Amino acid sequence: MANGFSGPVAQIVENYLERLKKGLKGIPAKDQEELVKEINSHIYESFRADPTPDEVARILRVLDKLGEPAAVIAARMPEAMVTLGKKRKLPFLILAGLLIAFFGVPIGLGGLSAAVGLIIGVLALIVSFYIVAFSLILTGWLSAVIMIVRIFSPGFLDPWIDIYPLVSDPTFNTVIYIVGALLISALGFGLLWLGSRMMRGIRFVFRFLFEKIKTWRQRRAAPSR
Amino acid sequence: MYYIVFGYDMENKTTQLRKGILELAILGCLSRGRHYGYSLVRTIAGQSDIDLTEGTIYPILGRLAKEGLVRSEWVESSQGPPRKYYTLTPKGEEAFHILDEEFRKLAAIVANSRIASAPDERDGGLGVIDVIKESNNG
Repeated sequence: MANGFSGPVAQIVENYLERLKKGLKGIPAKDQEELVKEINSHIYESFRADPTPDEVARILRVLDKLGEPAAVIAARMPEAMVTLGKKRKLPFLILAGLLIAFFGVPIGLGGLSAAVGLIIGVLALIVSFYIVAFSLILTGWLSAVIMIVRIFSPGFLDPWIDIYPLVSDPTFNTVIYIVGALLISALGFGLLWLGSRMMRGIRFVFRFLFEKIKTWRQRRAAPSR
Repeated sequence: MYYIVFGYDMENKTTQLRKGILELAILGCLSRGRHYGYSLVRTIAGQSDIDLTEGTIYPILGRLAKEGLVRSEWVESSQGPPRKYYTLTPKGEEAFHILDEEFRKLAAIVANSRIASAPDERDGGLGVIDVIKESNNG
């Protein structure tokens, strides 16, 4: 057999390597092959060095010391997952999508450009959301500042500003308006906070999608033998 | 004993600690010459009676290679399948010296904290490796 052993020992090694391969499905075919080859070499060297006379007992001992295939893979899998979610890929993909959408919309790219349109739509929503948040903050602060100035010089900006008297005392009235203005800017900050939450969610969705696409592509590129 | 008190979590902590130190040990071995996987295991485990699951070095080697700290090449063996030899890159050499220095300092902290809390044990402070073994046998 190809693994350098013969008889029942070869069978046992083959079985181990098969299980290893099964566990490696998520990673690129080249890395898979390389790791299997490396582990095969390890088994061979370990087998050669072990003094146990009975060959089957010896190979079982060797595999036991090596550990389950999961141990060989364990730390590698989550790492592969992490790499898939790297942030830098997102802007790049959006840029590539934009280029395709603007310069090449022949048939066949229709689906892709629809996806790009969707992404642009989402981006536009996000942008307008933040514009609203910032204008609320700006409006709130500006009004508050103007109102504070008006406490000290009552006629400030008078021809342009007409304030409805909620209470008869003008100073108290102004204070009410200041509180109102601060509440508006607080609303803006609330939206910002909500936005950061939302971004996290959106990022998660995108990362999840890319991961799925990538594993799907890898599975197609490396059909199990 | 640790397992009874802390259950699975202690096992997890031990694994974490071992993984980091194993990585340093691998870099240390490679700084003294090139190795293939099995010879690394023999060199590391041969020096102590620590119970090493040999397969765990491969994910570590894979990560080190990805980080550019080690380089590998396949070399035909006079007997059996080719071996994958690992060597330290200059970057790996540098990383090893920094980490080694850091480890010395940290080991000193652990030793000092023992002396501070237990004056009677002033002479026989345990090293980090002993701690690992202890929790492993525990």
